[in-house]
Amino acid sequence: MKLAKTIIMPHSVKIKRRLHISRKLSILTTFSTLVLAFGVSGIFFAMIGLNPLDVYSYMVGVYTSPTLLLKALERAIPIGLAALGLSIAFRMNFWNIGAEGQMYMGMFASTGIVLLHAYYDLIPDYLVLLLMILASFVTGGLWCGLPAFLKAKMRVNEILTTLMMNYVAMYFVDFLIYGPWRDPKGYGFPLSIPFPEYAKLTMIFGEFAYSGLLLLCIAVALAVVILRYTKLGFELKIVGEGIDIARYAGIRITKVITLGGILSGGIAGLGGLAIVSGIIGRLRPRASPGYGYTAIIVILLSALNPWLVVPVSIFFGGIFVAGDILQATLKIPGAAVEMHQALIFLFIVVGEFLKRYKITITREVVR
Amino acid sequence: MEELVSLRGIIKHFPGVIANDNVSFTLRKGEIHALLGENGAGKTTLMNILYGLYRPDIGEIYVEGRKVEINSPKDAITLGIGMVHQNFKLIPSHTVLENIILGLKKSGLVIKSRKIGEEIKKLAESYGWRINPNAYVWQLTAGEKQQVELLKILYRDAKILILDEPTSVLTPQECRILLQALRRMAKEGKGIIFITHKLDEVFAISDRVTVMRKGRVLVTKETSETNMSELAQYMVGRPVIFTIEKKESRPSGEAITIKNLKAFNDKGVLALKDVNLKVMKNEIVGIIGVTGNGQQELVEVIAGLRKASGGSLIVDGVNIINSSPEKIIELGIAYIPPEPLRYGIAPNLTVLDNLFMKAYRYKPYSNGVIVNWKKIYNKAEELIREFQIVPENPYAKARSLSGGNLQRLILARELSGLIGEKIPRLIVAAYPTKGLDVGATEFVHKTLIEYSRKGSGILFVSEDIEEALMISDRVAVMHDGKIVRVFRPGEVDIDKIGLMMAGVEIAFK
Repeated sequence: MKLAKTIIMPHSVKIKRRLHISRKLSILTTFSTLVLAFGVSGIFFAMIGLNPLDVYSYMVGVYTSPTLLLKALERAIPIGLAALGLSIAFRMNFWNIGAEGQMYMGMFASTGIVLLHAYYDLIPDYLVLLLMILASFVTGGLWCGLPAFLKAKMRVNEILTTLMMNYVAMYFVDFLIYGPWRDPKGYGFPLSIPFPEYAKLTMIFGEFAYSGLLLLCIAVALAVVILRYTKLGFELKIVGEGIDIARYAGIRITKVITLGGILSGGIAGLGGLAIVSGIIGRLRPRASPGYGYTAIIVILLSALNPWLVVPVSIFFGGIFVAGDILQATLKIPGAAVEMHQALIFLFIVVGEFLKRYKITITREVVR
Repeated sequence: MEELVSLRGIIKHFPGVIANDNVSFTLRKGEIHALLGENGAGKTTLMNILYGLYRPDIGEIYVEGRKVEINSPKDAITLGIGMVHQNFKLIPSHTVLENIILGLKKSGLVIKSRKIGEEIKKLAESYGWRINPNAYVWQLTAGEKQQVELLKILYRDAKILILDEPTSVLTPQECRILLQALRRMAKEGKGIIFITHKLDEVFAISDRVTVMRKGRVLVTKETSETNMSELAQYMVGRPVIFTIEKKESRPSGEAITIKNLKAFNDKGVLALKDVNLKVMKNEIVGIIGVTGNGQQELVEVIAGLRKASGGSLIVDGVNIINSSPEKIIELGIAYIPPEPLRYGIAPNLTVLDNLFMKAYRYKPYSNGVIVNWKKIYNKAEELIREFQIVPENPYAKARSLSGGNLQRLILARELSGLIGEKIPRLIVAAYPTKGLDVGATEFVHKTLIEYSRKGSGILFVSEDIEEALMISDRVAVMHDGKIVRVFRPGEVDIDKIGLMMAGVEIAFK
């Protein structure tokens, strides 16, 4: 028999998928990553000569002041709509990174209807908003339906197509607004004509935050019904499990993926409508400060659950509002604000990883 | 005798299932210990715990009398434990030598290939194997790959060898070579754990046998002191009948007629050259042949999952060739695919989702837009009872089901007539008992016979000649993309069938 010897194992880092994610762990992780994000940003704020605590109190103030919270709510509406659209695409494992572009197409379509009406006056005023909703849905939908169709038919990678089409959409809107769609009475600024009252989402409750919230809640209910109760919802889920199994089940894959893509982009298109017809009241270049990208984080944080999209979007809406306030009041450079936002996003993504995986560092001694 | 391994009171839970329930197990020096049990009995889980892939919730592990914690395969290897998995973990594009020294600490910075190659060769020869250390793994047969896996372990001076169903991929000859080598290893003082669900192997090789069922150890015995029917009873929990009763079939009307069927395989080679076959209702037609002679392509073409390049499939006088899978499902053609986990089951979805992944779109489960989940839930509970699927929870993830239960789930989905509430006109079953244990195999056989007597036509593809002869009313031998001959069981003796499968032309009187 061999002599028993002591074996000392080296340090080792192990990453294991958690089988079960407890709610306590989930909340704790999100909270502590946020604290960390603020801590790291604080170092940078201190470096440019600001008291981090002042900065933070402004930021927390967004969520405690009723007027600012309403502003956060306004921002939450396009973010939330785009995120709901993504909930449909992600369910079928279609990695739509193009909510941003689909929103720009929604803005383009709604502004187009306003201009058509302003110049040709083909329909009664009260139908204009309805038509804008329809047009932004269809245009956004097509913008995502095309990559979806290409993926279904020719296995074209959707991450690339949807991402690239963001730039096409954004520059297309730039072109229109610097060119043919520029307001002739706008002193040369790159702006469309201001939307008339009947073309604004404020017409329902007078305050965009409220009518927008109504729109968002309707969209949430719609997404829940589609995902949980319709044939299409179940088909999306099976397609998300793999093309082979979906084919085996006799599902018409091209139809499902294309339709899912259209729905996903369409709802994001409504987000575009919310920006021009709700928040701004006209079209201008770069009207979305990246809501479509934020939506990706929102839907991942919500674990594809449409109901959670509402509170999570309001939180992220608040971060955008806080950014504006910091620039205006403390004269913090825009870049610093964006860096702060990016840090928050980054830490949240890391936190999501930590929720799903357990990391242990061990060193064992075997006697 | 000296104990190499002792597992004491191991408990391991997975969400919704208890895989090991207070299991104790010992391995002695120099013995071959068979670990017997049906699929899902917890054998592999227990061994994965010993190999460090899982951690037990509760329980202690002793290796050579010392209490140890095994957190990873690396720890296990350091302790002298090696495992050969059911599917090999080799890198095909690397050589045998590269695979063996991969991850080896003692190889150092510069690899002395020649010296190591000689060592490997010598090691292999001592077990009667002929392995070229510089051959690429993709060039090897399944048996040789397994030898490389064993060499990889032996080269690391393992004393404890775990083999997970090692014979399932081997031909009878390769099997014999393996068993001889294992005996030699045992003689050298290594302890070998041999996981299996085949009873005859237990008696062919093992010194002791432990039977597991539903996560528990039922008995550990000297193999010489037990017999097959006793072990089978432990395994399944009731006496097992090794033969099948079958009423005479009364074929009535055609289920499907296959004419001059041609199709290509994934590599673009013509795999179906000219298949002609008729399956009647109330009849089981078995297809036997060496795997890779077009069986898979044939079932896929019938299921609408592969395009045919010529020929016809006639159902009720209509040629349905190259129809969509949806259309074929609607015609009442059920398909039990090979490798259910890849083609027939969505492991992340629930049992309920899997049961209804075809029927959800038809009445009465859907009105065209909205799915009636309440009706589906009620029907799912009924099916789970009828087909004895465990766990009985419709919301359990399919991933948590054992192989036998997955096959029951597929049977329930395909056979229960969810579409239009009638039984299928044709059931295409591709290797439906492959990898299943005694109890589940029996269930599949009984169910298929039952449906054939109720009126379905069944196309039953198998690699097991005896199984096909036992189940089928007619047997078709397939070779090189053609049906060589069709006959009734008993008309041709088994040696001749073997020759036909090998492509030897035989004159019949």
